Amino acid sequence: MKETWQVIFSGVGGQGLMLAGKLLGDAATGYEGKYAVMTSAYGVESRGTFAKSDCLISSSEIDYPEVLKPDVVIALAAVAYKKYAPLLAKGTVLLYDDSIEPLPSYAEQICLPLAKIAKEAGNPLGINLVSLGVLVQQTGIVQELSVINAIKDEFAGREKQIMLNLQSFQAGIRAKQI
Amino acid sequence: MTLKKNIFAMGNEAITEGALAAGARFYAGYPITPSSEIAERSSIRLPQLGGMFVQMEDEIGSIAAVIGASAAGVKSYTATSGPGFSLMQENLGVAVMGEIPCVIVNVQRSGPSTGLATKPAQGDVMQAKWGTHGDHGIIALSPSSVQECYDLTIRAFNLAELYRTPVILLADEIIGHMREGYCPHLPKEIIERKKPLCANRDYKPYDFCGEENEIAPLAAFGSEYITRINGSGHDESGNACGRLDNADKFIRHYHEKFQKNRDDIIETKSFDLQDAEYAIITFGCSVRSGKAALKLARQKGIKVGLLQLVTIWPFPYEQVAKICEQVQGVVVPEMNLGQIQGEIRKVCPTHCSLWGINRVDSQMITPYEILAKLEEAAI
Amino acid sequence: MNYMDYLKTQDFPLFWCGGCGNGAVLGAIVRSFAALCYSKEETVVVTGIGCWGKADDYVTTNSFHGTHGRALAFATGIKLANPKLQVVVLMGDGDGVTIGGNHFIHAARRNVDVTAILVNNYNYGMTGGQYSGSTPLNSITSTSRYGHIEEGFDICQLAIAAGAPFVARTSSDDPLAMQRFITAGLNKKGFSLIEVIAPCPTHFGKNNGMRNAADLMKWVKERSISVARAHTMNEEELALKLIMGILTDTEREDYGSKYSRVIAAAQEGRRDIK
Repeated sequence: MKETWQVIFSGVGGQGLMLAGKLLGDAATGYEGKYAVMTSAYGVESRGTFAKSDCLISSSEIDYPEVLKPDVVIALAAVAYKKYAPLLAKGTVLLYDDSIEPLPSYAEQICLPLAKIAKEAGNPLGINLVSLGVLVQQTGIVQELSVINAIKDEFAGREKQIMLNLQSFQAGIRAKQI
Repeated sequence: MTLKKNIFAMGNEAITEGALAAGARFYAGYPITPSSEIAERSSIRLPQLGGMFVQMEDEIGSIAAVIGASAAGVKSYTATSGPGFSLMQENLGVAVMGEIPCVIVNVQRSGPSTGLATKPAQGDVMQAKWGTHGDHGIIALSPSSVQECYDLTIRAFNLAELYRTPVILLADEIIGHMREGYCPHLPKEIIERKKPLCANRDYKPYDFCGEENEIAPLAAFGSEYITRINGSGHDESGNACGRLDNADKFIRHYHEKFQKNRDDIIETKSFDLQDAEYAIITFGCSVRSGKAALKLARQKGIKVGLLQLVTIWPFPYEQVAKICEQVQGVVVPEMNLGQIQGEIRKVCPTHCSLWGINRVDSQMITPYEILAKLEEAAI
Repeated sequence: MNYMDYLKTQDFPLFWCGGCGNGAVLGAIVRSFAALCYSKEETVVVTGIGCWGKADDYVTTNSFHGTHGRALAFATGIKLANPKLQVVVLMGDGDGVTIGGNHFIHAARRNVDVTAILVNNYNYGMTGGQYSGSTPLNSITSTSRYGHIEEGFDICQLAIAAGAPFVARTSSDDPLAMQRFITAGLNKKGFSLIEVIAPCPTHFGKNNGMRNAADLMKWVKERSISVARAHTMNEEELALKLIMGILTDTEREDYGSKYSRVIAAAQEGRRDIK
């Protein structure tokens, strides 16, 4: 098993990138006794411009809190995809939504209809959770159950939110790589 | 819901929980990025515990209300960032001269002025010490992890109460907004301010001579004692006093009470320093860069250690001097143009080289930048 | 209690100049304390900086002497932290409505249960008679030697506009009115403001043709009209007048009382404070 995973959730503000990172970190620290660090970058605007969250999950203590060599980059908007595709090196997986125009990259690219899957799962805003599901399914970075627990904690007392987010996450888990 | 040992939370959240665990029950503040999560969480959590939150009209009023509430006997805190911290400086002096315990969290951001409002920096080191006018000492602590946000906030309140002083928690945007697992354990120790035991008529809120640690007991407004708090030159009773020998006595006291208690106040953490030929000395978020660089350098066979300055003020000159004596060179990464490095220079002997790694572009210093300097030095 | 019990007579004589109204205001305050049987231990006198800001030197209650203009902000913390305290805030016009204007309007709007006694001497007395936010148009001061080109605040109207539930104005040569209004203000639950007109004899008076206390009293008297009389006058006639009396006295729930309902809601897990 890999000692440290470095993951970037990127897109635009308002897509729930922080939430995806938070749930991943909570699953790792709260339910698996692992170490996790998450940092984020965003503009002064709350919505619509480039944003990202860096997540590191490790079996040992994490020193530097930003992703230096990503294992996985998830790009949910064209602005993020365009930024990362030319930068990434071999060994990184770049997961992106099929609405984005593809570019050449050294990364191993995975294109999935994330937005469509989210919509079909009954929550068009759940693209962040769908991508988290894909990440967990493809990498085994944390257990599926840990994320389910983290979702239940995050939305404690709000049954509808729990249901919607679980549906999105599980749709991501089931999504087959094209 | 399973019981979780660790909570995955932001530094700002852990600071708020630390304040509550330390017994703080009053917050007054003005919203400012990147500290606002502390205000937001305090506004929810304080009333749950019977405490009080008030959003003031500006940072000047915020620190004034905090000082007032503390004088009325309630542990109090505020949180801000650069521009707000600048506005607080005059009344910070009231807390210094009035010897009123309180905690001011400064989640540092890029400056000067409005700067890059959402971006990190570590440029308020000297402001924390000298921002308010006149000679005085102060305590500033700097966390480098979410766990330290919690632990050091508790310690900040303890030191504030013990030494009747404002304490600055000098955090930064990276640590304040970073999420990490932390354990909100019950505090090992909660220090309450010393209350007077004398007869009512004999009470003097500033009569520190002969007291333990040279700190006078502080009776809250509303106790059986009459308390006179004064930010102007005052005598032992708190009465205005223009006598020059009295001014000399008290201004020296505001400085010396920290010097005399240095051993208790100063905290540093050492990593791999025993056999070190080079040392990284740093604080706050740059500790994270330093620790990562240390591991990379050790893998390459360079004997490096790291000294983390947990207490920034009073500055740990003795601890730093000891390391400088031992090693051939010291690297000081900091997200400013050398504020900590300048203090280290005061005690760094000539045989020890001193290099700064400084960034003011709001990017964290990477471990590779530090490693490059160490490799260059070790050749 | 005798009103003298609230005075630190050992520190007399008072610091203020001959002809200054501050001593009379202080007398009205301690008489009000005595009338209401205030305990010294549960009373806090909060002062700013300036001539009137020296008043805490002469009282035997708890005191807090902070910074210029910030007295109301310190007082807000004191009162909210311990609602049992009687918090009395003494400010001048420079303190209260010039450098501290922001705290003034927000304390009134927030409706913190403190009593502010603002002595308006129309200038910065302690620093040598420079103009303040209340200095009248055309006045000569040490920083308006050609005549002041700004209009002064109507301090009471400012407080009323900001939402203060109790506002009254009188002058330092009317001890009975002072004591009556101060007592009423202290009894008021919520923010109360008593503005006391007391022109500075040493600077404002001297610079504007008033040689002695009698001249100053005359100056105030000429401008003073009652609330009842003011009702019969138009805006133009009222322009330079000082309306004396209780200008507003309404009921508005204070911040502390409201906040106790926030605490109840938070502790019961409710999201509304009803």
